[in-house]
Amino acid sequence: MTSTLEPAAEQRRRPETQGRREFLATRRRTVVVELTMTVLTVAVAVLIAFLVVLATGKDATGALNALLTGPLERTPRIGRWLADATTLSLLGLSVAIPFRARQISLGAEGQVYAGALASGLVAINLPLPPVAAVLVPLGAAALAGGALGAVPGVMKARLGANEIVATLMLNAVVVRVFDYLLTDHLKAPGSTAVQSSPVRPDSALPLLSDFFGVPLDQANIGLFGMLAVAAAVWFLLARTPLGYRIRITGSNPDFARFGGVDVPRTIEWSFVIGGALAGLAGAHLALGIYGGLQPDMAGGLAFEGIVVALLGRNNPVGVVAAALLYSYLRIGGDVMEQQTDVGSEAVTIIQAVIVLLVTARALPELVKRYLARREAR
Amino acid sequence: MGPVLDVVLSTGFLAAILGGSTPYILAALGGLLAERAGVPDIALEGSMLAAACTGALVAGYSGSVWAGAACGIVAGALLALLLGVLHLYLGADAIIAGIGLNLLAAGATAYTVYALLGDKGGTSRLHSGALPSVRLPLIEDVPGLGAVLSGQNVLTWAALATTPAVAWLLYRARFGFHLRAVGEHPEAARSVGIHVHRVQFRALALSGALAGAAGVFLSMGAVSFFVTGMTAGRGYIALAAVFLGALRPWGVFLAALGFGAAEALAVQLGNLDIPSQLVSAIPYVFTLLALAFFAWRRRSAARTAAAPTSPPALPTLETT
Repeated sequence: MTSTLEPAAEQRRRPETQGRREFLATRRRTVVVELTMTVLTVAVAVLIAFLVVLATGKDATGALNALLTGPLERTPRIGRWLADATTLSLLGLSVAIPFRARQISLGAEGQVYAGALASGLVAINLPLPPVAAVLVPLGAAALAGGALGAVPGVMKARLGANEIVATLMLNAVVVRVFDYLLTDHLKAPGSTAVQSSPVRPDSALPLLSDFFGVPLDQANIGLFGMLAVAAAVWFLLARTPLGYRIRITGSNPDFARFGGVDVPRTIEWSFVIGGALAGLAGAHLALGIYGGLQPDMAGGLAFEGIVVALLGRNNPVGVVAAALLYSYLRIGGDVMEQQTDVGSEAVTIIQAVIVLLVTARALPELVKRYLARREAR
Repeated sequence: MGPVLDVVLSTGFLAAILGGSTPYILAALGGLLAERAGVPDIALEGSMLAAACTGALVAGYSGSVWAGAACGIVAGALLALLLGVLHLYLGADAIIAGIGLNLLAAGATAYTVYALLGDKGGTSRLHSGALPSVRLPLIEDVPGLGAVLSGQNVLTWAALATTPAVAWLLYRARFGFHLRAVGEHPEAARSVGIHVHRVQFRALALSGALAGAAGVFLSMGAVSFFVTGMTAGRGYIALAAVFLGALRPWGVFLAALGFGAAEALAVQLGNLDIPSQLVSAIPYVFTLLALAFFAWRRRSAARTAAAPTSPPALPTLETT
């Protein structure tokens, strides 16, 4: 009996392990290719900006040096880099989740302000016991962001309304309401500048410099929170039924529908989760970076989340890596502006070129074909 | 309510509506042409910004406002053509590429202004001048009407004239017929010998040029200098006006006029004790509601159209 069973079991297992080995090998190759492509993309973008700076007759080598080595020269800069990467990672993840369901949500801006407002209101006004003083505002931010994400989500999923226009309009409304509340109701009494009272000390995100004993500027415990969130997003997408539905809806909505997936509900959830993450990014700004509410506190960050999601291929690990890379350039840009005569806007050009190179999917193919033709000649 | 009515009914306010709507009308009509050709032009914002900057810089250095305006419009068109190259030839997603181009315009304009003038804020120290306003000799003297119509910028009149021109182009001209065919069904258009990409490129060039005119109005009409980031999201609003206007020229015109009116109202009410931020948020709330309403009506129309065909199928099966 055993002699007849053993080979059969072996046979059954062998093709499986063979297939798995091939799968892993392919995946490893894909990761290597994607990493190479990403590094190449950033390098090309930096090179183009370098040429632009050179063409305008500025100190290009000094600028490049400041851009690439500046952020690591002093620990406060490292801290600013990490704090910036935390916000950007959360924003990138918030864009990546609807992207995976093939939804283009441009609503991060409004969701950031909603999250900042919700967490700020709680953290300024509500006396809470130590740990809850941080967790409750964070929860409020996620709720506010998620609720705001639900609006375009439902409009798109149930009515088929254009999600791009819906999210843009919602941004315009929320930013104005935020501005109104801040100037007319939340302005700190006796303050000349338009800004809210600071958040309660218990609600401020603990600074990393208190743990490590080196000056790290605004870098705070939110960094670890962000890493936990990224891990949770990875788990959600890779290991849960909802994540599977999101991915299958994104890769083939018709197949998903025939397979029994409730496509509208899945789309709604992708918007809600994305909104909640953008809300958390707002909370990080309010409780960690600024310690209160300020006008224009998100700046252009919301749109940069799209860059980060794109560069990270909508993959949680990739998004965090892309955010670290991208924030590094941002901080480097600031250093560059301080030390040389080159404006930090050069970094925006780098960023734009990155977006255009990443989205031009046929470009690698065209380059390959061109090279092949040259070789043939 | 009295003071609000006084503001709304004043001739100055009506004149401000026309001025405030000008960039929205021009850019939204451009966006309409691209959208009808099947390429969403998210780069309207970037075209406006690039044109506003180029216009002010060229006018400032050459001394001719007309040369500045022409160069600005060309800059807007070039940016839209770049979107065409990325989307049609390099397989880029039109929306992501559009966002990328908007970033490029924001970065490149700010960088150029800083590199040339050493000023981060804009070109206010460059004397670039503004395009002339049009005085209407006879109408000027008509009480009320004169104050509204006379003295408007030449680009405001251009915006008003562009609306019927775009309507004519879309519905009466051969090119417009091709454009709509390409947008509705590219394969069908290709099968009858229409060069799809060529039509789309031309639509994008027009779209960028109109957005460029809108940008030129901002830096050489409303004021006479360029401020970094001066479009402040107007290109995105124009895009919303395209959809709010149900993809029709006069609908788009009315939607753009609505956005302009709200902007003008928010400015005028700033003098009174009414929060201007909330007033300026009204058109966006209205757009959201309209977007939901139109989508709901389209969906229920599709449902009633589909309904009669399916139920009769069952009884016939049962009787046989």
